Amino acid sequence: MAGAAFVAWVGAAIVVLADGRRGQALGLALLAMSLAVLAWPAGMAAGSVAIALGGLIAAVQCWRSGPAAWGIMPAGSTPRLILCIASALFVFWLAASVTSGPDASLRFAVIVVSGLMGARVLMSRDTSVVLTGIAALALALGLASGLAAQSPGPVPAIVGGLIAAGVLFVPAAPIPSAIQAASPAPTDSDGA
Amino acid sequence: MEPELLLGSTLALVLAVVFAPPRAPRANLLTWGLLGLAGMAAIAIAPTLDLIVLILLVLAVLQARLASHRDFATRLRAPVLAVVLLALGLALERMQGPVVLDRFGAVGIVAGLAAAVGLLPYAHEFDPEESLVASPIPWIAFVGPLLAAAVVSRASGVVAADAGDAFGAMLIGLGLLNMLWGAVGSWRTENDAAAWRYSFMSDWGLALCGFGLAIADGRAAALIILFSIVLGRLPLYLWSRQALREKVPTDRPINLVVAAVLAGSAPFAGFPARVLLLRGATQLYWPLALVLAAAMLLWLPGSLRLGRSMGVPRGRQAVGVAIVLALNVLLGVYPQPLLTLAGL
Repeated sequence: MAGAAFVAWVGAAIVVLADGRRGQALGLALLAMSLAVLAWPAGMAAGSVAIALGGLIAAVQCWRSGPAAWGIMPAGSTPRLILCIASALFVFWLAASVTSGPDASLRFAVIVVSGLMGARVLMSRDTSVVLTGIAALALALGLASGLAAQSPGPVPAIVGGLIAAGVLFVPAAPIPSAIQAASPAPTDSDGA
Repeated sequence: MEPELLLGSTLALVLAVVFAPPRAPRANLLTWGLLGLAGMAAIAIAPTLDLIVLILLVLAVLQARLASHRDFATRLRAPVLAVVLLALGLALERMQGPVVLDRFGAVGIVAGLAAAVGLLPYAHEFDPEESLVASPIPWIAFVGPLLAAAVVSRASGVVAADAGDAFGAMLIGLGLLNMLWGAVGSWRTENDAAAWRYSFMSDWGLALCGFGLAIADGRAAALIILFSIVLGRLPLYLWSRQALREKVPTDRPINLVVAAVLAGSAPFAGFPARVLLLRGATQLYWPLALVLAAAMLLWLPGSLRLGRSMGVPRGRQAVGVAIVLALNVLLGVYPQPLLTLAGL
């Protein structure tokens, strides 16, 4: 389980560090598979399948759309790298040392993925990056119910998987032409 | 409390669509209002906070996809922050560890609630020119009341007993902050539309204090305040938007009556809520009642300003305003049926 939690962090870190669609798809796929592995022993077999399927559908959609680029760790991504490493160390200390109980890997994965995906969404203005972050966040939220003493069953994980699978297909509303004419060209100000 | 608020929101949507100003996009309002109602129904029946957080995420994405002056990512920031804070708060509450973790969890849940609704310190970015459905107003005045009731009720089963005091204290603290900031903002800000938004915040301050008191009087006050937001302030704001664009302040008797509704004076719905809140605060800690009473006086100047900004309602809008006033009088004079329905 510790390996799955580590892979979940690697996947989340790739989503944070990648600007290209392929890099994000890779991160999302890694994240989905590792969260599915973590969900299985938490008493959510059906939820585990839903998380894996939802995450993979999102990753495929992410891979297919947009320019074919990896964009992992572009110039200027040092703050994001520091965020990934510092958050992993802090959450590892929290999950392994401060808290007790048998599911330390699950605690680590839920907190580190939720935190990193929240940061990714907040720091980016690119719609595709934001949607990828939301898909990954939905997967982590689906898994989070496994932390409860009395498991609420697979429903949250299934809903999380469905959101992850569907969020990248939501059509964007057209920006009114008056707004387009009045606005400068969009720039990515995510610190990259 | 959630079924009653769902009923109130449905009634508010009907009022908003039927009595919408002539140039308002009714179909758009109805479509997105029904979508919001579907999400609210899902929140009301969701058995756990996990599901509520996921539904909140879906609603946020759908609303952010609407055409607007603000870009997609900007509009998603506050709701996603809310989702993350709620999720982290929940996770901390569920872990076995020192009491301080439970308290941090309570802080996360309250902060997430404030971010979801759009209250201080996480007020959503507001553009007065934006369409109503794409603006932060649906969060603070339509989805928010039911969401807050659901989050507070589900959180009581999750927040550890040791952290219960911290949870209530956080709600009261944020409530006071929003009351003061909102009341002063609605009075002093230059833009009338922004003044309306601040007035929603100040009402929310009362509701948060009511939830934080965690006694029957407090919860009853919170329910009535949330009802007065959904069935009073929201439709009045909707019908004032045309006059806000024309920027013609009026001083007719109807404007004074609307100001009285917004200020929570007798015999309107805000009055029994304030009385219940003061009574609850006196039972719990009387200096709090003193602070609340002083803060409630700040409603008056802002409400007079908002009443004047409404213009003179004519035609359909006049009928709508009359219905809203009647509903608020009914709720103000005889709130017991609503409270009984909610089991309070």
